[in-house]
Amino acid sequence: MRVYRDDQKFLTFRINALLWAIVAVFVFLAGSFWFVQGVQAEKYRNLSDANALRPVPMPAKRGLIYDRAGQKILADNQPAYALTLDRVVMKPIIKGDPSHRAKLVAFLSTVLGMTPQEIENRFEKGKLVQFARPMPLAEDVSMPQVASIQAQALSFPELNVEPVQRRNYPYDIMAAHVMGFLGEISEKELVNHKEMKQGDLIGKRGVELMYDEYLRGKDGTQFWEYDSHGRRLAEVKNARQEPVAGSNVYLTLDFDLQRRAEQYFVENEFVGAAVALDPRNGEVLAMVSAPAFNPNIYSRRFTPDTWKLIASNPFKVELNRAIQGLYSPGSVFKTVMSVAGLSEGAIGPGTTFFCGGSGVFYGRRFRCWRKQGHGDVADANALKVSCDIFFYNVAARLGVDKIAKYAHDLSFGEVTKIDLDGEKAGLVPTTQWAEQKQHRKWYPSETISVGVGQGPLIVTPLQVANLMAAVANGGTVYRPHVVRMIERIKPDGSTEKLQVAPEVLHQVKLSPAALETVKLGLWKVVNEEGGTGGNSRVAGLDISGKTGTVQVIAQKGWFSTAGMPFLDRDHAWFASYAPRDNPQLVVVVFVEHAGTHGGVDSAPLAKMLYESRFQKEIQTTTLDLTNPETLQAIRDGKLPMPGQTTKAPAANANDSNLGH
Amino acid sequence: MAVRERTLARLDLNFLGTALVIATIGCLLIYSATYFNDPGLNIFKKQLLWIGIGLALMVVFLFVDYHVFFDIAPIAYGIGVIMLIYLLVLGRTTANVKSWIHIAGFQFQPSEFMKIFTALMLARFFDNHEAAYLNLRSFIRIMLIIAVPVGLIAIQPDFGTAATFFPLVAVAMFFGGIRWKAWVAMGIAVAILGIAGYSQLHPYQKDRVVTFLNPDRDPLGKGYQVTQAKIAIGSGGIHGKGFRQGTQAKLEYLPARHTDFIFAVLGEEWGFIGVAIVLALYLFLIAQALTFAKHARDRGGAFLAICLISFFIFHVFINVSMQIGVLPTTGIPLPLISYGGSSTMMFLIAIGLMLNVDMHRFANA
Repeated sequence: MRVYRDDQKFLTFRINALLWAIVAVFVFLAGSFWFVQGVQAEKYRNLSDANALRPVPMPAKRGLIYDRAGQKILADNQPAYALTLDRVVMKPIIKGDPSHRAKLVAFLSTVLGMTPQEIENRFEKGKLVQFARPMPLAEDVSMPQVASIQAQALSFPELNVEPVQRRNYPYDIMAAHVMGFLGEISEKELVNHKEMKQGDLIGKRGVELMYDEYLRGKDGTQFWEYDSHGRRLAEVKNARQEPVAGSNVYLTLDFDLQRRAEQYFVENEFVGAAVALDPRNGEVLAMVSAPAFNPNIYSRRFTPDTWKLIASNPFKVELNRAIQGLYSPGSVFKTVMSVAGLSEGAIGPGTTFFCGGSGVFYGRRFRCWRKQGHGDVADANALKVSCDIFFYNVAARLGVDKIAKYAHDLSFGEVTKIDLDGEKAGLVPTTQWAEQKQHRKWYPSETISVGVGQGPLIVTPLQVANLMAAVANGGTVYRPHVVRMIERIKPDGSTEKLQVAPEVLHQVKLSPAALETVKLGLWKVVNEEGGTGGNSRVAGLDISGKTGTVQVIAQKGWFSTAGMPFLDRDHAWFASYAPRDNPQLVVVVFVEHAGTHGGVDSAPLAKMLYESRFQKEIQTTTLDLTNPETLQAIRDGKLPMPGQTTKAPAANANDSNLGH
Repeated sequence: MAVRERTLARLDLNFLGTALVIATIGCLLIYSATYFNDPGLNIFKKQLLWIGIGLALMVVFLFVDYHVFFDIAPIAYGIGVIMLIYLLVLGRTTANVKSWIHIAGFQFQPSEFMKIFTALMLARFFDNHEAAYLNLRSFIRIMLIIAVPVGLIAIQPDFGTAATFFPLVAVAMFFGGIRWKAWVAMGIAVAILGIAGYSQLHPYQKDRVVTFLNPDRDPLGKGYQVTQAKIAIGSGGIHGKGFRQGTQAKLEYLPARHTDFIFAVLGEEWGFIGVAIVLALYLFLIAQALTFAKHARDRGGAFLAICLISFFIFHVFINVSMQIGVLPTTGIPLPLISYGGSSTMMFLIAIGLMLNVDMHRFANA
């Protein structure tokens, strides 16, 4: 043991140097940790959460759609099963067994009844979904399919069957065009809906589309802890974001009116549209477009077969004829002509035109629908008998631009801004239109055609309903709407009701005298012998209206050119309101290719709807139901059932076969 | 050599206490990192056992005058070399590496004990070598003492552990005294060996180097460990997530969470405060050990303390640096904190020997 005596200074110096070097290194390390844990803590905390927590979507319950009374549910949600793929689980499996993917595709193709290529397509599409999120494979899996998937759960742990809500329309085709349907969100829609994700359902048409943001609600999220092997451990309860249920939507549709109107079209195999409006506020009480589709089929993924079936339907079932169908208004337009002529002073009380069956205007002969002519026609009777010669004269006196002004004011030529998608504006021709759009001069003779609702003039049934409503209520054009109220369910369970207020689009100034004359004419159409709308007559109720016929042959350029005899037949209009003195209901019925005029095929539906709507009033005015004898008479069939009325007089029927 | 009361009174309780506090923190972290998937707490209990055995060994190395160990160092060194050769011939491969000897159900790594024996051999050499500068012959002798175990460990192949002998080379050169020409020659030699060595590395070792250079390149692949460790540490913030509250480790995102990456568990659960405290404890331990070296009775004692604490310095620096990607990932445990029987025992023995040097600092002891 030697006491060390070597250069102590040498060693001490180097030890001290080492110590300070170490202190410097430790300060550097502490600084590095400070940078990571102090400065960048937030970033790493987020990464840590993302690591451990995976969001599991909790779909919001989509709002229900009710009828007007809130008693019938027109759209609800049904429990269903969706099949999803967890790629976080699948990735390591495929890494360990590269053949697993092919096995999975084969299995899915067997269970789902799709070709392997379709499965691959779905995988490809699913790549847009965030990796950690479940990738949707099929959203409506049947119970047997669920059973076969779960039987293979050990072989394919990445497949999950999740309970979901499926949109359901209990009345199938009922109000299909108003209800619309759902569909998978498109890439375009995703751009505008950042809050949604691939595979989500979104309203595609109708109320489902227009009120989607109310109906949809807000999806919630559960956060589950997963370990690095993809095993789900436990839910982090305090991180959960509860879903917010969508608001319920109450339509303005009257269930009974809607159903009767639809049945009428179905039973008669009619193609066409019907609109019932409340002229006091623009509420749509019924809107039919026939033929209709079944939104229950549309709201699911289409199989190729379904697509073929829909695409092959010649009647364009998706078209909402009430707002997208463009037709010549025919004689219905004579209502506008009367209003315009009287208001502009082109005609006045006592203005009489002689109808001899035809007349010459601007060097061309124009015929009246009644070959033998109407004789002297004046005032309200012009509308009643729908004399073409009378309105040719009015048109000639007004000129197309003045006609167009009133047509516009009474809601033609522009969208009514109804709360439905895809509404068409139609067309009201003017001289300017001819020059700017057609690059030609407007021929005065064309004005004569417009005078009876022909020519380039095209309208939608809803616009006609709006016209009738404006006449009925004295000149107010409301914005029609199909939603009456939105009922928001707050998180605490209470509800908040948002009423849809009536909105006035135009206020048309009409002289009371002119209005009275027009209204009288419309009343006579239905209620006087010789009127063209007698088929809608309801005892005990003053219905006013106007019939119209559109000749298709001459209009081929505007419509289908398919040479089927069916398509050559005339369209039939009937536009009406009631009661005369206190109008509460407007009914417009349009039947494509009916082959008869509006009084025969369209008016009976209007009659049915009025009977249904004014059941109470009709009963109290025609039958004393408190009298046992009356009741007995009804039972015996001697008196009509309440709401049913006696048939229109035979003479009227004969006349109307030819009438407009 | 009997232990005298006066010698025992000179036992540096601060140093011993600091070491024990660090070991206790290690146990808590190991518990926190394993309790959830080790319901029997076997890992935690084993670590307690290692510490127990390590403390017993420490007592032996504490109370027997370190000069006695100088005397038996060549024998111990020789046995160590034989064990390393035995490993190469018969050792079972564990995780690509034949570094474990299985005795009666326990595994232990002879290479860890070889560090102690090599340090003793070096100290013994310097005890007998009093020149301020090493001549070439002495230098080669020293390098051979180090090179034999390093070579045997490197061909296991366990470069991580072989590299842990590097501090001995540094100590020999820095404190042994090397002239500047020798430094230059060494530098060139190291550069050549480094380049040649890289080409000889196994692919997984090359990956580690590449990953170190760019850990974000493949976050789920080779850079995974560092990325996850950084997420764990960073997400701990200043205060940490709390004992047992770390999600990175608990959810098994963090690999080697009770061994190489236990410091990340510390960072996640105890935050920057915990990191700073543990670093401070290590710094105190290092500073104190260097003080022991300064006050040592002889060159042998001084070099023994320096050699042993250099292992601590090296392990702490490498391990802590790799947690946040300052250095590449290596299998180098954190002294007294990482789970592991051999390393825990080795470091406790080292603590004992350093205290031994301090206790016997007076010639008349």
